[in-house]
Amino acid sequence: MFTHIWKKEIRGELYTWKSMLWLVIASLLFSFTSYLLLTNQELSLLDQTELLWLLGKIMIGVALLIVTIDASSILNVEFEKETAESLFLSPISLRDLILGKLFASLTLWAAIFVISIPYIVVTSAGSHLAWAFMGYVALLGTLGVVGLVFLIFGISLLYRSSKNTITTALIILLAFATPALFTSTLKNDIVSQTFSAINPIDNIFNSLDNVLVDYKTSLLDNWQFLLPLIVFCVVAFLFLFLSAKRFTKQGIIKND
Amino acid sequence: MIKSTEKTFLLFLLLISVGFVAHAYAAAPPLTMQIFSSSSLSGTAGDFVTVQGQIMNTGSKPLGDVTTYLSLMDNQNKLPVDLEDWSAEKGLYIGTIDAGQTLPLNWKIHFVKAGTYSLIMIAEAAGYDSPQVSSITQFNVSPKRNLNPKQVLPVALGTPIVLIFIVFLLAYRRRVEE
Repeated sequence: MFTHIWKKEIRGELYTWKSMLWLVIASLLFSFTSYLLLTNQELSLLDQTELLWLLGKIMIGVALLIVTIDASSILNVEFEKETAESLFLSPISLRDLILGKLFASLTLWAAIFVISIPYIVVTSAGSHLAWAFMGYVALLGTLGVVGLVFLIFGISLLYRSSKNTITTALIILLAFATPALFTSTLKNDIVSQTFSAINPIDNIFNSLDNVLVDYKTSLLDNWQFLLPLIVFCVVAFLFLFLSAKRFTKQGIIKND
Repeated sequence: MIKSTEKTFLLFLLLISVGFVAHAYAAAPPLTMQIFSSSSLSGTAGDFVTVQGQIMNTGSKPLGDVTTYLSLMDNQNKLPVDLEDWSAEKGLYIGTIDAGQTLPLNWKIHFVKAGTYSLIMIAEAAGYDSPQVSSITQFNVSPKRNLNPKQVLPVALGTPIVLIFIVFLLAYRRRVEE
């Protein structure tokens, strides 16, 4: 039954020019970045692998931002437009609703990944890293997006408000992203090192660095970064599970 | 009775012997570091080279807590270089080297930035204040220019154009359906 929700969402999200414009802007951003990196006199002196690393971070960063915004409103819109009641009167369970919306958010990530493939191919030409780059962007991006969507859906079921969910979700994304951009000098103390080890965005960027700059392309070499990402997904799923339980207990009409 | 001249002589001997002891403690460990790879390595930024060498305990006793590490200097800027990205293994803890024992040392170096650099291997051992250093290996790294507008331009322009075409196609189809 969730496929019905999924198709409905996709139709709404990718079937109008307004809802597709962000994808065109994302591709313009990738075009601008890759053109600048490959043609600018100063930037072109960068080692190609560093260039790929930078581009990979931009691709996953854009995907996380777009999916965060989308996931923050995709569930809440049913509560705000008061369509949730009629939805649950039909043979659609909360599980179907969440699964349908999850797949819709993942479809946005898939769309970003598909448009990033030509850029990955052209920037990694001659480096023998095209497949590894593509594979790791797909794997790390999917793990990051799934965990983040679970977390945001959990918040959505608690808040039932797009405005509050989007504010909280963007602050969480910023809290994850800002330390990941710190230089290694700022990560010398135990607190920042511990946070870096559990921060999903740090792990995504470090794994890309491991693959593209240090040429450690096997899954075994990246296990130290993949494991925290999997743990993040599991913890976010548990949070969503508990939020869904609370939501079921409270009912659709919440008495504040 | 000891005469004052004898006293002065004894004091002089004492000072010399103290100096010898102090000097022996401050000396570098009896290690020899030889480099077999060329003393001058050239390449383009992004290339990998291997600096091959060996470390040998030339003393008569085993040496404990032996650690080797690299030091890289930018000759143009006259500054040491952070080895981040240049070498995955910045230091190597060897532990104990028996008397007369020889161990190979291979360092894979990634040329990150164009310029001329000087690399030395350094070895330290427990109980010695001074390190032992190898001879200098010169790196001549030429810049890598990734200028390929012919490859990137069709993709940079083509992808957004294809997407804009898809957007208009969807809008047209939707209008027809309505």
